[in-house]
Amino acid sequence: MSGHGSLVTFKHPRSWPQLVIAPRVERRTSDIAAAPLTTSRFAFTGRAGPYFRIWIVSLFLSIITLGIYSAWGKVRKKRYLYAHTRLDGTGFEFRASPIAILKGRVIALLLFGGFALSGHIFPVMQLAFVLLLLILLPWIVVAAARFNARNSAWRNIVFSFDGSFGEAAKVFLGFGALALVTLGLGYPYFKMRRARFIIEHHSFGTTQFRADLATGGFIITYGFAFLMSLGIVLMFSFVMFVTAAAAAGGSSHTKPSGFTVFVLMILLYAAYIALFAYVRAQVGNLTFNGVVAGVLRCRSTLRTRDLVWLYLSNIVAILATLGLAIAWVTVRMARYRAANLYLIGEGTPETFTGATTRGSSATGSEVSDLFDVDVSL
Amino acid sequence: MTAFEGLHFDGTRAVGVPVYVEGQGDEIVIADAVSAPRRLRREQINVDAPIPGVHRLLRLPDGELIETSDQAAVATLWPSHGWIERVAFALESRWWAALAGLGLTAASVSLIVAFALPLAADAAARLISAKVEHFIGEHSLATLDRIALKPSTLTANQQAELTARFDRFVAGEPDAKAYKLAFRKVGTANAFALPGGIIVISDEMVRLTESDDEFLAVIAHEAGHVRGRHALRMVLQDSGLAVLMTVLAGDAVGTTILAAAVPSVLLRSRYSRQFETEADDYAFAMLKRHNQPPKAFADMLRRLQKEKPGAQDGSPIVQYLSTHPATEERIRRAEEQR
Repeated sequence: MSGHGSLVTFKHPRSWPQLVIAPRVERRTSDIAAAPLTTSRFAFTGRAGPYFRIWIVSLFLSIITLGIYSAWGKVRKKRYLYAHTRLDGTGFEFRASPIAILKGRVIALLLFGGFALSGHIFPVMQLAFVLLLLILLPWIVVAAARFNARNSAWRNIVFSFDGSFGEAAKVFLGFGALALVTLGLGYPYFKMRRARFIIEHHSFGTTQFRADLATGGFIITYGFAFLMSLGIVLMFSFVMFVTAAAAAGGSSHTKPSGFTVFVLMILLYAAYIALFAYVRAQVGNLTFNGVVAGVLRCRSTLRTRDLVWLYLSNIVAILATLGLAIAWVTVRMARYRAANLYLIGEGTPETFTGATTRGSSATGSEVSDLFDVDVSL
Repeated sequence: MTAFEGLHFDGTRAVGVPVYVEGQGDEIVIADAVSAPRRLRREQINVDAPIPGVHRLLRLPDGELIETSDQAAVATLWPSHGWIERVAFALESRWWAALAGLGLTAASVSLIVAFALPLAADAAARLISAKVEHFIGEHSLATLDRIALKPSTLTANQQAELTARFDRFVAGEPDAKAYKLAFRKVGTANAFALPGGIIVISDEMVRLTESDDEFLAVIAHEAGHVRGRHALRMVLQDSGLAVLMTVLAGDAVGTTILAAAVPSVLLRSRYSRQFETEADDYAFAMLKRHNQPPKAFADMLRRLQKEKPGAQDGSPIVQYLSTHPATEERIRRAEEQR
């Protein structure tokens, strides 16, 4: 990297505040005098009002066109969200064509519809569908990652994904099966391998990402979540038992009142969400902190308590507005995510280089048409 | 003459170079601080579809890109787009249009849920032949036998007697041959109809009936389900609902998607209640045809209610959640049949 570094030395015009967080960048002693560490921030500048209009128009047109417009709607919503996710002041670009998304939706609908219907009618056929989906899973993962990467760009430099089906099969089916046969003990390792597979095979322009992930963090996160969920279940069973016993001991021999059960269910649900937020925050940080792109690395600072509040208030808002708050929820989650993401390292994002002056059109035609669909289930 | 400023990205370096773009007739002139101005024909430049509040992107023929926030200037120089994007942009740009869209969305969803889905499910159910329906029913029963039902503990004599009574009762029905009575031990007093004419009655239900009349009242209700092909239509309506909910709440993120389960449950029980009412109506007419007293139907319901207290307490919340109409209401309707 040093040779090209001297070629494209570029001083950032503005000086960013140095080091908000202690960096985890390894530095050789000889490098200490080298370029100072800089942080580049992500920010989300979208607003709920305009996004709501795009969202509701998409919903309306999707319904009256029996779902066909949903492909256009998805592109427009994603373009809004990408364009307002800014790194160093420039927005990202989502360049997928609605037709490609429409094709993917038809495939997904056939798969999903077949699965749902077969479940109602012939459970045996549903088993066949599960097997089919399992076999298709590596293909789906790779095709979706490739589609999203090739259609995402920043400053006219395109992302790419070069994971193979074979490796996807090894990671998703192989390590997935390992997690199953070890009764979940292998699950954190599976999640780590999954994240590593996805990160390592992504590139931004000419820069291939490197994954710097440790299994330890995943083990601690999932281990703690498992113990907590065990504790929650035990505690609630105990409370249920006590209320039932108290009711039985009293004058009436009825079961605990509907209201008590209702409150307990709400509490259980809230506890579940808190746990979910914990896993999301930890795994999100572990994964993003493991992304290394050339001299830069990601820094993610999600916090469990923030996510607990966001998730709980999101659900209340969505229920209270009969779903209308979904647009607002999307915007506020994007804002939180972006506000907690930095790039840090000896350089700025301006040092990234694109694969070719010809943009994405040349690379696009190399990939066969079969993969030019968006199959995110 | 229209002109605007933007940032030029060459696709090689992640550096934006300020450019000045000017439309001169059919030509576009692109100038920056260093190199000589470039001239391109207007149609050589590929402009992305406009979205309110999003910067415009201009793709030059060799993969270069110009980004600008001057939406008005770009719209003047490149006014045409596909009609889909034009309609979308026009609607997205106006609050009144968005609000009208909201109202129309709500109206279309209500129409779909109330009429279109049930009608479509009915039509789809008609496409499924009686043979296939029967096959599905047999298959469902086999599955239920494996996972939930136990063999009946009624004596062979009892079963034969009730079956004979059943056969005589449904003999006049169209497709009478398809009807089949199955006895199973369920654990609670219950009876249900599967696709293709299989009616399952639980031992507990048989014991709860105090007369032939009451037994036939139960059968008449289930025959209503068979006749209306409710089991099949429910499956189809369910699938339709699932698709509708995915379209409506597809963007919800994380746990938020769980919020979408609430309306699904409410709508499902609404469909179920409609089928129950339909089956009751059919039962009343069928009992009348056979000169059976509708009072037996009401008596049966009362006894069922006593069997499962609290299951149906008629409060509004419980009513919305429950799969059956309030029992009091069903009893009242049965007693009106004289």
